[in-house]
Parts: sequence; C-alpha cells; structure tokens
Amino acid sequence: MVKWRNDEWIALLLILPAVLYVLILAFIPALQSVYGSFSTLRAHNTIYNYQFVIGTFGLSPIVNTFIVTASALGLQFFIGFVVASLLSKPFKGREAFSAILFLPFGVATIVTAVIFHDIFSSYGGYANTMLKLLGGHAIDWTGSFGTSLLITVLADSWKNTPIVSLILLAGMTTIPPDLYSQAMVDGAGTFQRFFRITLPNLAPFIAIALMIRGISEFNIFAIAQDGLFPHPLLTTMTYSLFDIVNPHPSYASATILLAFVLIFAFFVMLYRSRSSKVS
Amino acid sequence: MVSEYNNPRNRKFYFIIAIIFVIVTLIPMYVLIIIAFAVPSQTVAAYYPPLFPSQFTLSNFIGAFSGYSSILQAAFIKSLITATIVGALAVALGFHASYGLSKMSNRMSALIISVLFFSTMIPSLTIAIPISVSFLKLGLYDSALGLALAQELVVLPMTVFMITGTLQSLPKQLELQARVDGAGFMQSLYTVILPLAKPGIFAAFLLSWMMSWDEFTFAVILSPVHPTLPILIYIDSTARGNILFASAFALLVTIPVIIITLVLSKFIKGNYLTSGVTG
Repeated sequence: MVKWRNDEWIALLLILPAVLYVLILAFIPALQSVYGSFSTLRAHNTIYNYQFVIGTFGLSPIVNTFIVTASALGLQFFIGFVVASLLSKPFKGREAFSAILFLPFGVATIVTAVIFHDIFSSYGGYANTMLKLLGGHAIDWTGSFGTSLLITVLADSWKNTPIVSLILLAGMTTIPPDLYSQAMVDGAGTFQRFFRITLPNLAPFIAIALMIRGISEFNIFAIAQDGLFPHPLLTTMTYSLFDIVNPHPSYASATILLAFVLIFAFFVMLYRSRSSKVS
Repeated sequence: MVSEYNNPRNRKFYFIIAIIFVIVTLIPMYVLIIIAFAVPSQTVAAYYPPLFPSQFTLSNFIGAFSGYSSILQAAFIKSLITATIVGALAVALGFHASYGLSKMSNRMSALIISVLFFSTMIPSLTIAIPISVSFLKLGLYDSALGLALAQELVVLPMTVFMITGTLQSLPKQLELQARVDGAGFMQSLYTVILPLAKPGIFAAFLLSWMMSWDEFTFAVILSPVHPTLPILIYIDSTARGNILFASAFALLVTIPVIIITLVLSKFIKGNYLTSGVTG
C-alpha cells in the first residue's frame, strides 16, 4: 500500500476506537467475571463460588458440554466435507443448489430451536408422524439423554453446517487440480486422495472452521435453553445462576466456560501451527 | 476439472446426493411455513400432525398480530433499532480500523488483528453478566442502545476482517494518484477508498444487521423486560407455551433475514470470512 509521512500515526488513530471498544466491552468484563468468581458478597479470594457450583450441579454440565461440542463438530465437518466436495465440482444446477444449502444460515438460532421442537416433540410431532407412517413407535425425543443429544446436534448442525461448507469450499478452490490428476495417474483412490491431498492442504481452513464452530459449540445456548436439551450445559448452568443482585456464582460458572473455550482455542492454534510447519 | 467427474455415472451420483441435501435443508423450512399458515387443528393442536395439511388460514397471523399487537410492535421496533445501530456502528468502526490496518507495518497489524480475534473467543455469556451489572448502574439496561453496544462485540471483529479483505482487493494506483495530486490522508480515504469499497461495506453492514436481528444471548440477559423478537419467540415457545404464535413470529423474523441471505450469498465467499485470518 501507499505510505506517506505521519500515515502510521493517523492509521493508529483510526484503529484506536475499534481496539478500545473490545478492550472496554469484552476484555474488562471478562476480567471482572474471573475476578468476581473468586469473591462473594462478603469475602474475597475464596473458591466458595466454585464449590457451590460444582456442589449444586456436579460435573455433568462440563461433561455434557464436551459431548455436545464433539458430536456437533463431528457431524458438521462430515457433512461440510461432503457438501464442499460436491460444490467444488461442476454440475448442473450448482448455483441453485448452493443458494438453497446456504438458506439455514439466515434462520435465527431460536427459530431453528422452535422448528426442531415442532418436529421432534416429546409427544407426537412430525418426526413421530413419520415413524407411525413407517410402522414404528412414537419416541419421546426430549425424554432420554441420547435422543435429546441427537435432536440438539441435528438442529445446531442444520443451521451451522453451511458456514463450515463455505470455508472448506474456499479452501478446496486453492488446491491445484493438477495434484489430483497426478495422484490419479499414480493410482491413488478416492480415500487416499482425500487423506493425502485434500486434508493436509486444507489444514489452515480446517483450523478456521474448527475455531469458529468449536467456540460456538461450547457456547451453545438458545437451542438448549428452548428445551431441546433439558440436561445442564455450562451455558444453561450459567444462565440459571444469573442474578444481578448476587452474580458471583454465575461468574464462577462463566469462568469455567471461558477457561474451556480458551483451552480449546489453544489446541486449535497448536494444530494450525504444526500443520503449517509440515506443509 | 479431473476427468473422473466427466463420467456420466458419477455426475448422476453427485446430483442425487445434492438432491438429498436440498430436501433435508428444506424440510424444517417447510414445517415452519405449514405451522404458520395451516389451521392449528392440523398442526400444533394435532397429536400426530399430518405431513401435508389440507386447510390453510391467515388467522394464526391475525391472531398473533391482534392479540399481541402492542408487544409484537414493541419487539419489532426494538429489534429494528438495535440491529440498525449495530450495523451502522460496525461499519463506522470497522471501515476506519480496516483502512488503518492496511497502512500499518505487518507486525503491528498482526498484533491488532490478534487482539480482535482473541475478543471473539470470549463467550457472550461470560461478559454479558458483568455488562448487565454495569449497564444497570449506567441506565443502559433493557435499552436498545445498551443491547446494541453489547451485540457489537459479536460483529465488530468479523466486520474488520471482511472490510480488510475488500480493501486489499482495491487497485492501489487510484489512491496513489489522489495522494500525488495533493489529497490528504483522510480526503483520499473518503473520496477515493470509500466509494470503491461500498459493496464490501454494504455486505458487512447487512451481515452485522442480520447477526444482531438473530442474536439471543446478550438479548436475553441485557433486555429481558422489553424483549427483542428472538426473545419474544423464546418466551412464547417456552414460558407461555404458545407454539402457534411463536411460529408466526418466527416466520416474521426469518423473512427479512432470508432475503438478506440471498443478497449476501453473492457477496459472501468463504475467503471474505477467512481473509483476516489467513491473509
């Protein structure tokens, strides 16, 4: 870009508002949350809030959050890869196809939750109508852990897989097609080509998609709160502890959530830096 | 592309998989539409609702609008004001920050981008609770402005990445020419760069607007008394147990966003979202 004298200073002034914004509204409240988690209304430097949270809810919110995150990421990346590979090929109606697949991205999370609640109800509902038509028995979808996990992951993935597909597709277009034709000449099969060419070349894009989606999965809230997942998660636990008069227990819960998100992000960055060294 | 894809049998295979994905994507949209427009006795009031209802009506909408008109209107206006503030602020902060970033040394811009990127890792719930306590003192609690200020955090980093990507794609000569002709830093920013970057800025505005329109976490914590549309849907589908109105509202929320998504699908390629991170 063009550079003139004093430009760097003006540039800094232009950036300052945005940086101050996130410092004041994101970083300081985050520190308040962490600091507040070690205080109560009477005492400071105490782990009482953590004892209270774990004592009340046990470890299941943490375990459940991990299970939901892992299942949702697994499904979204599997479908994301299939859709991105489809869209990377020229076929009739590809434009219309990608426009339709992109639609759920525009449906609000809470709307997704409402729709999936109508499909997978506790009693009756569209999924059970289908089951009856096929000669099966009706299922109480929110009744057991397994089925509520399934419908939560389905609802979340329905809305969020488009973004994964989009990022993976952007990555696939950067891989030179020659690599594939050469590999085919050398006799590499579909799976070999996927694991030896697609996956390593996509690493930076996978890392971005993993970062965006993984962080959101840890924060999965509206879908669970709307009743699809009646078991406690870190987010729904934080919300149920939320109280403006005494926010300290919710600070402890929120800090646990923050810690897990940061640990996750750290591992994704580790994966990204290691994969970029290899390639 | 590779010769394998020209094989007619493979093409048919891709086409069939594409059709399956399209159907799965459209089923939930279909359910939303029939619940909103079919008579309740064939949808939410039915134990096993028919997959293809036969009687349609507008009375669900009329009921939702007349029974709730003041609450619905208030929520609609609140969502509209909040989303517009979020979009305008995002573009104002994001455009200047992006231009500033393009003028900085690589090391400095990488540092600032990582600060912005790091802020996206902080869970909304973690910061929403301390923010709600501060907003209560500042009189911003439950206000559209306060909610917009918090939701801005969700969209600001993404806006900066998107507009940075746009600025990088602009021809450098025009700006250089303007500077040589004696235009100042800010003058060339507003008279040369801004008009050229309009499509990218417009896309960033729409995406921010849409994310605020859909946002749930900050809205449920910072504005529970006078809710936005997503929170109204949440309250109706859970606390009031009124799935019918919730679905009518859900469609109301979804329509503008679907239109925006269709407009955006031309603008948004995966590289927009990834440029700030890979570039």
